[in-house]
Amino acid sequence: MKGLALCVAAVVAVLLAIVLGPTHIPLADLATSDVVRSLRLPRAILAFLVGGALALSGAGLQALVRNPLADPSLLGISGGAGLGAVVAIALHVTNPWAVPLAAFAGALGAMALVYRLGIVGRGGVGLDSATLLLAGVAVGAFAAAITTAIVSLSDATQLRNAQLWLWGGLSGASWETVGLLCAYAPLPVVALLASARSLDVLALGEEPARHLGVAVSPLKRRVYVAASLLTAAAVAVSGVIGFVGLVVPHAMRLLWGHRHRPLFPAAFVGGGALLALSDTVARVAVAPRELPVGIVTALVGVPVFVLLLRRWTTS
Amino acid sequence: MRRWAHRTHLAGLLVFAASACGTEGKRPAPAGAVTVTDDLGRVVTLATPAHRIVSLSPAATELVFALGAGARLVGRTTWCDYPPAALAVPSVGDGLSPNIEAVVARRPDLVLVYRSPLDQAATAQLAGLGIPAVVLEQDRLEQVGRAARVVGVLAGRERAGDSLAAALAALVARPLPPARVRVAFVVWDTPPVVIGGGSYLDQLATLAGATNVFHDVGAASASVGLETIATRDPDVIAVPRDTARGEVIPPAFIRRPEWQAIRAIRARRLVYLRGSIFSWPGPRAEQAADQLRQLLAEAGR
Amino acid sequence: MDHELILAVRDVTYRYPGAVDDALAGVSLEVGAGELHAVLGPNGSGKTTLIRVALGTIEPRHGAATILGRPAQAWAPRELARVVGVVTQREDNLFPQRVRDTVSLGRYARLPRWGAESGADRAAVDRALARCDAQHLAARWVWTLSGGEYQRVRLARALAQEPRLLVLDEPTANLDLRHEMQLFELVRALVERDGLAVVLVTHHVNLAARFADRLLLLADGRPVGSGTPAAVLTPESVARVFDWPVAVASFDGRPQVTPQRQPKDDP
Repeated sequence: MKGLALCVAAVVAVLLAIVLGPTHIPLADLATSDVVRSLRLPRAILAFLVGGALALSGAGLQALVRNPLADPSLLGISGGAGLGAVVAIALHVTNPWAVPLAAFAGALGAMALVYRLGIVGRGGVGLDSATLLLAGVAVGAFAAAITTAIVSLSDATQLRNAQLWLWGGLSGASWETVGLLCAYAPLPVVALLASARSLDVLALGEEPARHLGVAVSPLKRRVYVAASLLTAAAVAVSGVIGFVGLVVPHAMRLLWGHRHRPLFPAAFVGGGALLALSDTVARVAVAPRELPVGIVTALVGVPVFVLLLRRWTTS
Repeated sequence: MRRWAHRTHLAGLLVFAASACGTEGKRPAPAGAVTVTDDLGRVVTLATPAHRIVSLSPAATELVFALGAGARLVGRTTWCDYPPAALAVPSVGDGLSPNIEAVVARRPDLVLVYRSPLDQAATAQLAGLGIPAVVLEQDRLEQVGRAARVVGVLAGRERAGDSLAAALAALVARPLPPARVRVAFVVWDTPPVVIGGGSYLDQLATLAGATNVFHDVGAASASVGLETIATRDPDVIAVPRDTARGEVIPPAFIRRPEWQAIRAIRARRLVYLRGSIFSWPGPRAEQAADQLRQLLAEAGR
Repeated sequence: MDHELILAVRDVTYRYPGAVDDALAGVSLEVGAGELHAVLGPNGSGKTTLIRVALGTIEPRHGAATILGRPAQAWAPRELARVVGVVTQREDNLFPQRVRDTVSLGRYARLPRWGAESGADRAAVDRALARCDAQHLAARWVWTLSGGEYQRVRLARALAQEPRLLVLDEPTANLDLRHEMQLFELVRALVERDGLAVVLVTHHVNLAARFADRLLLLADGRPVGSGTPAAVLTPESVARVFDWPVAVASFDGRPQVTPQRQPKDDP
């Protein structure tokens, strides 16, 4: 029942994203409109996929680092992506895909560094949750500092706009982007879904989890890498979008409980619905101007979260 | 270069129609003293016309040279590249958040400050050091005449200031040519940022016989959706480029799939706005309008 | 011993990386089905290290640990969890959970990766809850449980694994007398009725003496005594291990230890 309601909400959100826009397009013309086919439709789908990926990563990372405040952007990934983008812009690469690809590479670089720093202990097998979180914050801050240094020492207009790129939102949506994400995302998504039950057990702590049959170190590696890969791809196609990865998993926990089997799909669909809805608001609210979608996710996400929190704490 | 104007756009500066307060102070003061009211409404009096001027905006630098007072300029910003003679003046660094020590080191008797929140603090600091500063707003064409008069008075070039102001007033008052071309100025691609009605480029478009399709957006610049650009369907896309000389490198975004929804991009009807002539309003406005008209006509063909 | 041998630790020595002393030296432990074996010793005597070696978590420098005849380190975590259930000293649950859900986690190692819980799994959870007299708690949130109830629930989770060997690490550390006795009676019943092998790690000498079939007494990682309670618990051995003078008397046929008052020095 809840699941059905969520799916309906997601479908409605995506339909709204297709129907509504700064330009009024009569319902009868939707199917034939060029704007709908080449801009709105891929953007609505991309919003859904990116929102889903961020929320799913967030849910996985929160369980992994045992911290409810964990957010995909906290693990240094955004910082790395920003640095990659700025370098690509500074080098004047003229390939139209250079900036997203460089951002993706930067995100992967930051991820690898955080991962390496997060490994503690002799033999280098244990991924320590607290260290991982600290390493993420440190690497993110360092990458952001380098980015700012490059930007402020440079004369080029384009570089000053690199900061804008990070908050770029979903304006880069096209069928090609959607296709890339569709080809790329299934592997990390499946890896996370496959880890769902193990994460339930890991919530008891590493030692109890080991005794219940969880191979703890491989699990943590798998979840970290999968969640990072998803986030890196999301950042590469849409810049940094906050709140989805933090708020949606918690909201879904309040509705679905803490078992990751139902939680993961719910978080994906819920995150997708939230971002599709937020992007519609961002495009329509102050038309013809556009709001940064991250502002809208916070404006939409936080009240919903507060409502759920109140309902849950009073019952 | 586009840099200066571009930065001021991104700083989201509001444009005030400061055409009011037309009583530029030329009140009798001690013999030889000059008095003006700047764009913040501050009354500034100099005992004698300034001889060591530091300019903290490229528009003011151009103005000082245009009034024939270039020899009195002892400091400029890194962005000041016009006229070429300006490059010979020592730079004091960035104009938007000026390095006060570098400014003071030039021993100025007048500092011309660009009106922005960042410069308010600088003005106060300079006042504390006993260095007179005037704040000038030069975002729109109609503001240039006033600035020309103020700088003219302070630099002892009152007549030149008056005649430049008169020439610019005539340009603004001129009957507009019929608008034949619809243009969108795209300054950034992710997210798409366009020039709105509150900008100098919008005025230039009008003078050049074109319509900025985002004229209704009141701000100097704004983030908009590709869908909006596509449905407003400009005939030409104008893109500011950094490179003033040499080959223009076409921006990467014109080859991105989602931009192909825009007719002018598909048809590659693009013009590149190069050089500082398009960056800020000033004495070259008429020339800039002519250049833009020519560029648009070539692209429309 | 006619019981099937479940756990065999033979003459193991272990030293933590970077340490100068052995944490374990020459320790052996054999536990058969239907047998409760207590490991006794003060804090820091190597009890927990012994368990970690026994379960293959760490590799001994000398000696070997085998479970059902197979080297402990050769077991994959999933396989091992189907044979050995462990109740650790503590756990902290990241998320709020209901009792039934936490007991269901005991089935983890027996579920296929993608499959759902089957009827057999649910039945095993029901049996485990019933066995620990915790059915009525099933719908409660874990955080609302008393200390004794929580330990019973955790024991039920270990039973839901349907193990052959149960390892209990200080299971009654925070329990009052009644709950402590209830838990020990329950564990004893599991040994006698269900034929489980149990390793009980504790520093409760008297409870171990009353409930265990055999004892291993450890001091500084060295075995001080091994065998039946009556054979191991002598005033000398207990005094040496716990570094306090004690008297030992028999109660219900089991030795019971009473610590002596310290003789006051004359002023």
